[in-house]
Amino acid sequence: MLLRKMLRDIFENKGAYLACLVIIAMGLMIFTSFASVVQSLNVSQHEFYENQNFADGFVQVAGIPPGAVAKLGDIEGIRDIQGRLVKDVTLWQPESPENIYLRLISVDPGEANPINGVLLSQGRPLQKSAREMWLDNQFFAAHNLSLNDQLEIIAAGRRQRLTVVGTGSSPEFVYALRSMADIYPDPETFGIGFVPWDTVQTIFPGTVSFNELVFTMKPGAEFETVREELERQLAPYGLISIIPREEQVSHQLLQMEIDGVESMSTAMPVMFLSIAAMILYITLKRLIEQQRGQIGILKADGYSNGEILRHYLSYALFIGLVGGIAGSLMGSLFAYPITGIYQDFFNLPAFTAVFSPFYFISGVILSVVFALLAGYQGAKKVLSLEPAEAMRPPAPIAGKRIFLEKFSILWRLLNTQGRMAVRNLTRNKGRSLFILFGIMICFAISSFTWSMNDIFQKMLYDQYEKVEVYDLKVTFSQPLKQESVLRELRSNEGVQRVEPMAEVPVTLKHQWHEQDVVIIGVLPDSKLYNILDSNYNRLEPPENGILLSERLAGLLNATVGTTLSLESPLKPDDRENTVVVAGIVPQYVGMNAYMEISSLQRAIKEPGLTTSAMVNMDRKAIPAFKEKYQAAGNIAAIEENGLRLSKMKELMDTYGSMIYLYALIGVIIGFAIIYSSSVITIAERERELASMMVLGMTPEEVLSVVTFEQWCIGIPALILGIPVAKGMMGSFGQLLNSDLLTMPTTLSSWAMFLAFAVTAASIWIAQRAAARKIRGFSLSEVLKSRE
Amino acid sequence: MQQGGKIVGNSLMTAENLSKFYQMGEVTVKALKEASFQLYEGELVVVLGPSGSGKSTLLNIIGGMDRPTGGKLFYRGKPLHQAGDKELTLYRRHQVGFVFQFYNLMPNLTALENINLSVQIASDPLSPTELLAKVGLADRADHFPSQLSGGEQQRVALARALAKNPKLLLCDEPTGALDYSTSIQVLELLKEACEAYAKTVVIITHNTAIAQMAHRVFYLKDGKLERIEENQTPLSPEKVTW
Ligand SMILES: Nc1ncnc2c1ncn2[C@@H]1O[C@H](COP(=O)(O)OP(=O)(O)OP(=O)(O)O)[C@@H](O)[C@H]1O
Ligand SMILES: [Mg+2]
Repeated sequence: MLLRKMLRDIFENKGAYLACLVIIAMGLMIFTSFASVVQSLNVSQHEFYENQNFADGFVQVAGIPPGAVAKLGDIEGIRDIQGRLVKDVTLWQPESPENIYLRLISVDPGEANPINGVLLSQGRPLQKSAREMWLDNQFFAAHNLSLNDQLEIIAAGRRQRLTVVGTGSSPEFVYALRSMADIYPDPETFGIGFVPWDTVQTIFPGTVSFNELVFTMKPGAEFETVREELERQLAPYGLISIIPREEQVSHQLLQMEIDGVESMSTAMPVMFLSIAAMILYITLKRLIEQQRGQIGILKADGYSNGEILRHYLSYALFIGLVGGIAGSLMGSLFAYPITGIYQDFFNLPAFTAVFSPFYFISGVILSVVFALLAGYQGAKKVLSLEPAEAMRPPAPIAGKRIFLEKFSILWRLLNTQGRMAVRNLTRNKGRSLFILFGIMICFAISSFTWSMNDIFQKMLYDQYEKVEVYDLKVTFSQPLKQESVLRELRSNEGVQRVEPMAEVPVTLKHQWHEQDVVIIGVLPDSKLYNILDSNYNRLEPPENGILLSERLAGLLNATVGTTLSLESPLKPDDRENTVVVAGIVPQYVGMNAYMEISSLQRAIKEPGLTTSAMVNMDRKAIPAFKEKYQAAGNIAAIEENGLRLSKMKELMDTYGSMIYLYALIGVIIGFAIIYSSSVITIAERERELASMMVLGMTPEEVLSVVTFEQWCIGIPALILGIPVAKGMMGSFGQLLNSDLLTMPTTLSSWAMFLAFAVTAASIWIAQRAAARKIRGFSLSEVLKSRE
Repeated sequence: MQQGGKIVGNSLMTAENLSKFYQMGEVTVKALKEASFQLYEGELVVVLGPSGSGKSTLLNIIGGMDRPTGGKLFYRGKPLHQAGDKELTLYRRHQVGFVFQFYNLMPNLTALENINLSVQIASDPLSPTELLAKVGLADRADHFPSQLSGGEQQRVALARALAKNPKLLLCDEPTGALDYSTSIQVLELLKEACEAYAKTVVIITHNTAIAQMAHRVFYLKDGKLERIEENQTPLSPEKVTW
């Protein structure tokens, strides 16, 4: 009964087949789960954008009267253009320790086909002029609100009530960040409020113009030509920026995530399946080598080539099928928690987890195809075996001199066992390379993931613990007179130190390079904001000139001494200023430039004005301080550094568990490769190893031949793993680097040490298994028969 | 002991009621039943018996590759039947050399290196090059097993077994895979080992003709050591024909 023979053979070699099975299952789990999540993300994104008429372009202006908007609709390529007012306000929440922000967006209740229309989940339409609003679903849920609750906002220096009459989601805020500096959405502290346009005018008395335009384009229209025309026509209204949909924050992050998951859903499974295929190939090839005699007998009995090949392919089919079904099943289940995570971050209404029979079946097929291909490669040799030849022992393995032997000094250092080990490495070059690869992967993935962990910690904590060392940051709603505002803040109880900080959005230009950034201006001897070089030494902001972050310097192609031109977009008609680069500093979070505050004020011709203040104060006095200023009309925000840090720590914890998952995957792959090949090596060389024991070698001495061999591969593999890990960090950094984050690409030595320990432990465990096998040899049996 | 008119060495091994049983489910296979015998220093013993009579079983127990299920075995007065794995390994390492029908050379070591492999673990080894010359393969020292004929491989295996300078040389059908003249070469070497190096040599064979060169012949049947015949006039191998 051939089926029984197969199952028995598989059981005999369970180590290798199990490793194969686990890797296939893991690969398919990743495939089915991520592929179905991607599909569902794609579909729901597309539908949502389509249904809600998501804008193709976003324009910020200083102010444009509603009457002037309609005319812009005539521009060639524009399908529809609508204006709105967007303003951030804070919520009146005296008992809350942190500020809660609401972004108010004006909507026209009469508009039949609004751009970026809100998809209402519950509630009723807004009524013109009524003091009511819609909230985004996440914010509504995070604050346990119910319909008809009233929220008190602080706008125009007054507390004003708005009734919540509905909740919904907008394609513009699928990923709702307050600013680029936020990294992740936090509905606890930031929400979107949609308010009728004429109500907005009463909330902010005196408002007559829009500050944003959104437009959709006709099919086939060129964004660049539309942009040029808009720039021309909007110049009189104080044009600030025009960005295409691709650069819109929410869309960009959503798309990045989808692309990321999509590439992972193909790359990872292919990697896993290839490794499994390799193991299967090696195992089957060896099995056939070993069972030549049996194959010969089957052939002599009259079994056809096809039948025998089918028999050996059934091993592969069995592994592929079992691994495929198990993996796809796990993947289908795993899709639910993944979807759950994305639902927390992304506000996509139609996005839910669905069991996808398509991906389940294609997963199983994929696995079976991979397994059969590997199996065929491994087993095809049975076809060419003549029965008589098959029953003869295989041609003896030809010993060969190897390259190394030319270096006779080195060669002589090895004892006979050592020589044997080294020659064995070259006996089966393919397999040695495979083991090398396995160890390398194991090391590279684990050192890479751990380094990432270290780096993220460093990036984020450094920013809040070493750079921004103030307790509170008070941001003003418009630039204020520095002297009087500092005096005012200083007069509060518990305040120990107050320093001004100017954050000025500018455009920096060098040659044809151009970047919009925020210049941070601080006092020359600031105690609350440290500009640090890569060795954590404090740098003083130069009296004249500007410090650039490394990434910014790269983007502007600037070095120390380069002269940049500096424009403030708020005063586009202003004469251009120039500023000389005085230094380049590392900056991991955000992308800024730094100047000494008074030279910055001179450069933008607003001497004595500051946009925010940093405060150091008694912890206990903070609540009173916040309460006092929260409602002040000229204060936009009060941020507490400690809160940001603890938020960050929370995020890092979630992220940390992901890191460990990846590290685990790396370790499992590495271990499976090392283990299976070590088991196969032992089985294949049973006779040789037993002969050594007959000579009187102890099991330890025999094992040392095998272990020496493995370390001969292992050590170079570990060393090769370092550049591979560096490469992974480099490309990952490239992927991640943005105006938001700049990733340093140094492998931390702690991570390397950990990775080394883990890899070495995998090798060691595999060797223990080998040792057990060697000790269990029954000498008389192994040597009884010929090979 | 008296043999062919001259005294050969002292007792090297003593076996008392050696048995080996294999439990195969319900059935017990009695591979060896209560064999008692002595082995003396410097003698050549041939073990004869039909297939399945327990020859290899006996040899494996003598050589410390296997343990008896019953009975006692002493090597120079030391009990082997109760020795642990470690002691058996040391016993094999220093006292025993094996030669098998299928030579069991390391395929990726040269002839000389194969011999060196056992020299490395021996306490009082013989010179590998001399041995190689003795088996007539001095010029093949750097050849790998795949580059040697069966007879040549068997001679290397013999040199490897002798290199440790063991007291006991155990050969399980050493000529089983060889033709007549090659067999005679190997047998001559075994005879020389026995005489010139004063080894105790035990040869298992199906070939009754070979028994003519032995000092003593053990006859095994169905696991029983039926009788031991002393040969007053051992022939030299070149006179043995079949
Ligand atoms: N591992 C084992 N398990 C069960 N039975 C065994 C085992 N090894 C040997 N036997 C049995 O013990 C008996 C003696 O076997 P042994 O190998 O000693 O015979 P032999 O005389 O060497 O035969 P041959 O001349 O064919 O090599 C046989 O009946 C064999 O079936
Ligand atoms: Mg036998």
